[in-house]
Amino acid sequence: MAEPFDIVERRGLALASVMARKGVQAAALGPEFPEGPQCVAKGEMMLVGVGPGAWLAVSEGGGEDWPGPLEQRLAGRCSISDQSGAYVLLHIAGAGARTLLQRGVAIDLHPDVFVAGSAATTAIAHIGVILWRPAAEEAFDLAVFRSYAAGFRRWLASQSL
Amino acid sequence: MSRLAAGGLIDRGAPVSFSFDGRVLAGLAGDSLASALIANDVRVVGRSFKYHRPRGILTAGSEEPNALVTLGAGDRAEPNTRATTAELFDGLQARSQNRWPSLGFDLMAVNQLFAPILVAGFYYKTFMWPAFLWERLYEPLIRRAAGLGALSGLPDPDHYDRNHAFCDLLIVGAGPAGLAAAVTAGRAGLRVILADEDWRLGGRLLAERRVVGALPSHAWASVAAAELARHANVTVLTRTTVFGIYDGCEYGAVERLTDHLPAPPSGAPRQRLWKIIAKRALLATGAVERPLVFGGNDRPGVMLASAVSAYLNRFAVAPGRRAAVFTTGDSAWRTARDLLDAGVEVAAVIDARPDPPEAAAAAMRREGVEVLAGAVVTDALGGPLKAIEVREENGRVRRIAVDLLAVSGGWSPSIGLGSHLGDRPVWSDAIHAFMLDRAPPGMAPIGAAAGRFSLSQALNDGVREALAVADAFGVARGAEFALAADQETVRLSPLWDVAKSRTKAFVDFQNDVTRADITLAVREGFTSVEHLKRYTTLGMATDQGRTSQLNGHALMAAAAGKSIAEAGVILARPPSVPVAIGVFAGHHRDEHFRPERLTASDDWARSHGAAFVDAGLWKRAQWFARPGEDDWLQTVNREVLATRSGVGVCDVSTLGKIDVHGPDAPALLDRLYVNRMSTLAVGRVRYGLMLREDGMVMDDGTVTRLAADRYFVTTTTVNAARVMQHIDFARQVLWPELDVQACSVTEQWSTWSVAGPRSRDLLQALLPDLDLSNRALPYMNATALRWRGARARLFRVSFSGELAYEISVPADRGALLPEALMAAGEAFSATPYGTEALGVMRVEKGHPAGAELNGQTTAADLGLDGLMSKKKDYIGRVMARRPGLTDSHRPRLVGLEPIDAGARLRAGAHLVPQGSDRIAANDQGYVTSAAFSPTLGHWIALALLERGPARHGETVVVHDPVRGGDVEARVRHPIFIDPDGSRLRG
Repeated sequence: MAEPFDIVERRGLALASVMARKGVQAAALGPEFPEGPQCVAKGEMMLVGVGPGAWLAVSEGGGEDWPGPLEQRLAGRCSISDQSGAYVLLHIAGAGARTLLQRGVAIDLHPDVFVAGSAATTAIAHIGVILWRPAAEEAFDLAVFRSYAAGFRRWLASQSL
Repeated sequence: MSRLAAGGLIDRGAPVSFSFDGRVLAGLAGDSLASALIANDVRVVGRSFKYHRPRGILTAGSEEPNALVTLGAGDRAEPNTRATTAELFDGLQARSQNRWPSLGFDLMAVNQLFAPILVAGFYYKTFMWPAFLWERLYEPLIRRAAGLGALSGLPDPDHYDRNHAFCDLLIVGAGPAGLAAAVTAGRAGLRVILADEDWRLGGRLLAERRVVGALPSHAWASVAAAELARHANVTVLTRTTVFGIYDGCEYGAVERLTDHLPAPPSGAPRQRLWKIIAKRALLATGAVERPLVFGGNDRPGVMLASAVSAYLNRFAVAPGRRAAVFTTGDSAWRTARDLLDAGVEVAAVIDARPDPPEAAAAAMRREGVEVLAGAVVTDALGGPLKAIEVREENGRVRRIAVDLLAVSGGWSPSIGLGSHLGDRPVWSDAIHAFMLDRAPPGMAPIGAAAGRFSLSQALNDGVREALAVADAFGVARGAEFALAADQETVRLSPLWDVAKSRTKAFVDFQNDVTRADITLAVREGFTSVEHLKRYTTLGMATDQGRTSQLNGHALMAAAAGKSIAEAGVILARPPSVPVAIGVFAGHHRDEHFRPERLTASDDWARSHGAAFVDAGLWKRAQWFARPGEDDWLQTVNREVLATRSGVGVCDVSTLGKIDVHGPDAPALLDRLYVNRMSTLAVGRVRYGLMLREDGMVMDDGTVTRLAADRYFVTTTTVNAARVMQHIDFARQVLWPELDVQACSVTEQWSTWSVAGPRSRDLLQALLPDLDLSNRALPYMNATALRWRGARARLFRVSFSGELAYEISVPADRGALLPEALMAAGEAFSATPYGTEALGVMRVEKGHPAGAELNGQTTAADLGLDGLMSKKKDYIGRVMARRPGLTDSHRPRLVGLEPIDAGARLRAGAHLVPQGSDRIAANDQGYVTSAAFSPTLGHWIALALLERGPARHGETVVVHDPVRGGDVEARVRHPIFIDPDGSRLRG
């Protein structure tokens, strides 16, 4: 079962926790704000649903004032916290990606179940992860708190497919 | 050699060398260890648990009670491995167990002479004997005399991993029913997992010589296996035992990945734990043949008839030269045929029934085999077996010389898994066994596991039930799949006991429970199956009584005058087979036992001589030893003095950090903290104290107002998650009407404390453009800034009591911060310090921390009652006014300094008044934190002392019964240095 996969750390991304203020519905914020555990991309930014009225914003071009532009756009509607330094983001892709992740993830990642655009806030080896599948192919993005990243890498290294 | 000249599913071109008790033997690829031992005429494989009787091989499956061996050597020794399921490989080393000094000559076999006292309940009865002998005599004796294999005592050299799988249909067992179900479900496109403990699919199709369609049964199994391998939607797990069922349609299984390999590939896990979530499951685990209860039925050479057939047909080995068959049902007549066809002489077929199957009996007679109807074997003689004594229908007793006796007491469906969730099996008069009446949600037994014992029934069950699952999920059925097998009869008249045998008749072979033990237990009043189990240990061995349970219950029922249905059956519990603890631990052992959290400066600290300490999951630098420092206290003293006289830097990133945002953030924080936060000006920092609902102190920290609707809150390291949970509970459950959001930003910021009289100078060098004057940034203020292009924050707060700051940068730049601080501080001899120096300085400054915030202290106990607002409500306010919490005699925070300046104070020591007895009744409090203060040159301590604040100046005795030595100490104010705080504001 030596299925190939690649793991790449995605660096230079701007991240933020986005939490809707009271009474603000996702739909009112825009189509890129998913209602549930999904991820939606718009332009340079991906929004990953991590809880009711809560998202992780992942931006390819945050800019020096991040999360200023996001705060301005959502002023009065969302509370924003910069998390650019808080997570290590990994991109795991290839035929073996799902096999690898399924060793740690206790939810079904089959493409018919965890379809393109799905997201999950879950745990691997007792380490909290936010996991999403941006598109149909066997490729996943994964956010791990920075302090756990070394331990998470050790778990990855201990797996043999 | 007992290898047959032809037949079998072994590879005659692939010889395999292995050893048993040091003897080098030869087997073939495809052998089990048991079949290879039989091929080498090894008949005695182990000694029994209690009486050390010689034992051979009883079965050909995982229900084996006798043939337990230790596989491997050194740290890979695996005790209690069933030889019947161990796959033979080149270089395999097996050792017999529970014998001393050797298998042939076992001194402990004298236990048999003491058998009259080693009866049921022996262990419990010793409790009633003279108690003074218990620890010295009974317990050590029992422990040494009884037992199976021993653990190596060495760390497990292998590693284990786990997998999570999801499927529409899990099929447990790949015999005829399981294979038929898997092929049917596979063709319908269902997500299927088929698991079997064997290394080859087929179950009884491999052990019997049957016909399916137009193929020999083993060939049909191969065809089915080949088809399954082509279905992408079917996962076939061989060498995998489903050992337990749990709530939520979850199944636990263990896959043995490398146990069958001579040398495990490096890095490969030895075994894998599977957590399988299956919408539906079919229990196709077949049935276990029951032994018969007669004298000497445990002797090597007495073997289940189905096992004899398996060894002949699958492994092409003959377990004897001259055999007899003793049965109560039809199936063992096929074994007699297998024996004859393999060239083994069959002396007699003894059927306890008066009406054995006519055609089979006639065929045997034609071959010159004696058929004894209505007869029983009363005793087996010799060890290994030399002869049997048979009582014929007319009462005449005869001796027949044989070295193999194939026995069959009928079949019990393997339904242990089905009772894991508490569904109690029910008795069936039709099959003379217990069956699953109700099964766990989504699961159904099929084939022999459902009491449908014929091959045709098994195949048809598999097809029908798999189609039912496909229909239930609304998927198309796939290609037609009709199966026909040769016919057989499955009549059975159980015989639970062959009465009047001369020698010991065993029921539970692995725990040495005899017929006499069971009747004794009944006489002593143990007439419930659960009591019987615990009193006699019936079914409590590693085989979970799979061959013995029903025989034991039937004997108990008969002795108690009940029916078996009334006696009932015990429930099986997971795991159904022994599973190594390492499998459950998986990755989480040694340093991976729990995940660890590292700060961004971890590498830097390691390269600067840091020792580390656990703080929750965090690894924090405890101190930074320099060359020449051989004592940690020397290092810590240096760090404290360097900070108090110059400047020290310390990573405090592990403190919890929470953003609290929204228009109602001020209102929420007012309710969370005892002091008011809504009045805090933007840019200001305030110390805050939180109570639990019950009025006790929960946590403390700082609150910074970043904007009108934005606060930044810190917590202690260990309480970070608890405070986050508390805040979420307050805003989501207690006051959902508030418009307030909160999220943890602990991971976002890398924060360093810069403390000491030169801290401003250091920071000015680091941040030349920032005005750090007292006017621009006074004590308890914060400011935002840019550091190397990144958003950063500077707080003027102090834990050490010195002029101090905390600087925060995004954690992805955190690794750069200590380098930058040390470079900027080079001119001021900046010194990194760890948690130990941090702790010394906070004790010197009288700050309560972890040891004082212990969940049993009130704000008043800690001298913080002045913070408690009387103008607003907050969590814990009402309960903090309970009489017990406001009692003036409560222990309250004080400082202690020894009268003898050289004396050491220790945390945990108790405080008693001078001149009083050192007894619990005089206990007035205890030392919470103690430290050597290099600033003052002696030990100091914080303590909780009854009426403490009123007793400053009094001398008390610090009593330390654990570590010895009493010290007299003066009670004083807990702040030892700079009581008016002029350094903070400097």
